[in-house]
Amino acid sequence: MIEARNFTYMFYGFAAAWTVIVIYVITLVTREKKLGQEVATLKKLIAEKEQSR
Amino acid sequence: MREKLLYGLGLAAMLYLVRNLYVIFLVLPDELAQGAIYRVFYFHLPGYFTAAICYLLAGIFSAMYLITRKWKWDSLAAAITEVGLPFAAMNLITGMIWGRIIWGIWWTWDPRLTSALISALIYAGYLMLRQAIPDPTERAKNSAVMAIFAFTSVIFTYKSNEWFRTQHPGPVLSIRTGGGTIDPQMEWMLAHNLLALLLLAGLLLAIRWRQEERQREIESLRREALSFS
Amino acid sequence: MSAAPSLLSAAWQIARKDLRQELRGKESLNAALSLTVVLLILFSFAFDPAAEDSKQWSGGLLWLVYSFAGALIVNRSFARELMNDCLEALRASPVPSSALFLGKAVACFLILMGVELTALPAFCVFYGVSLLGAPATFIATLALTTWAVTVLGTMFSALTVNLHMRELMLPVLVYPMLIPPLVAAIEITRGVITGEPVPEIWFRLLIGFDIIFTALAVALAEVVLTD
Repeated sequence: MIEARNFTYMFYGFAAAWTVIVIYVITLVTREKKLGQEVATLKKLIAEKEQSR
Repeated sequence: MREKLLYGLGLAAMLYLVRNLYVIFLVLPDELAQGAIYRVFYFHLPGYFTAAICYLLAGIFSAMYLITRKWKWDSLAAAITEVGLPFAAMNLITGMIWGRIIWGIWWTWDPRLTSALISALIYAGYLMLRQAIPDPTERAKNSAVMAIFAFTSVIFTYKSNEWFRTQHPGPVLSIRTGGGTIDPQMEWMLAHNLLALLLLAGLLLAIRWRQEERQREIESLRREALSFS
Repeated sequence: MSAAPSLLSAAWQIARKDLRQELRGKESLNAALSLTVVLLILFSFAFDPAAEDSKQWSGGLLWLVYSFAGALIVNRSFARELMNDCLEALRASPVPSSALFLGKAVACFLILMGVELTALPAFCVFYGVSLLGAPATFIATLALTTWAVTVLGTMFSALTVNLHMRELMLPVLVYPMLIPPLVAAIEITRGVITGEPVPEIWFRLLIGFDIIFTALAVALAEVVLTD
């Protein structure tokens, strides 16, 4: 019984360690997308400004 | 070129980590007193070391910024602090899960645990400070000063189980005890996993650093877009 | 005249200026003092001062109250100079940055010490504790901890002075860094109140943090206060 719990918690430990990394990678990817969009919008804005001048 | 290098680094880190998992689960035996649960230690300690190395480098990069005043160092310091935090979280969470089995409790207010948590809070505060300062020069300068102050908490954490009688186990690595406290095979495994996590951290740092530089680019583009309009 | 005395005398000039300003306006002094008393009263509802174990935790409570008062005081340290661009004037003056910083820290220290010593009798009366078991130890702890709070607090006050969210950011950044010296102060004060021996490590920790914080702050003052 105790052995089984010991084993389950070991599994939880590894799952937690990996989950943390996966969550961080996901935030990195979302930020990457957001930054890309922002650069695109700003470049468009600047191009429009150049044209209107 | 840089893209390919990053993919290569990512692949290498992944393969290494999978290889380590294989050895941890299928080759190494259970620990005598603790049974299977001791295996989280292979992430607990390397996770902390990775975080501590990130914090140390954040301090060094910050000092480099103050000396050279080059943006590169500021971006690097910001990126590596953020990369260190998930590893600190990994350390804290695996530690709690281990404590639940060995101590019977998730958390205890022991100097080691408390100071590790405080370090994470301080570095989270560093990231908040960065967000709160709009002017790039002032942001770089003030956060660099904070990073140097923040490192005192890392030293405190590292030394706390020497200074106090803690519930947290004492030093086990042979570089600190002179050997005899840990099976060499297990110590090797720790070194392997530390290397793997450092590789992973290096990859994350490269990605985060590029984002930080792009953020700077966005700030200057924004100034350009909003000027004279 | 050599560099060290001129630095110290310049620092003292700044400290005197800040103290005079504070004694005239009593901006943070009154606020800090009334906050301390209010908190002492409030805590007496949360924790029963008549309880048997009150000696165990009342020292911790005292330091909690003092650290709140400290945050209030250091917050004003540099913010006070924002009006009429006084900070720019101070930076332009021939006073070295480290002296400017030290002076401000000393002023904060003296103001906070004043608040603490004034509130101390109220604490002893409300919570029925006596600090006379080891008065010298307590006063030394009071001075060392107050210095740790003010030197670090003044540094972060300088770091956050230009922020809109200054009042919010300062405590968020400073409290975590102050935990080790505050824990040391709490442990020593508990020993003073209960009469139990205090492990030497807490004294060393407190002095060590004072030295490290002071050295880092003085070394980095130049960087923080000049652009």
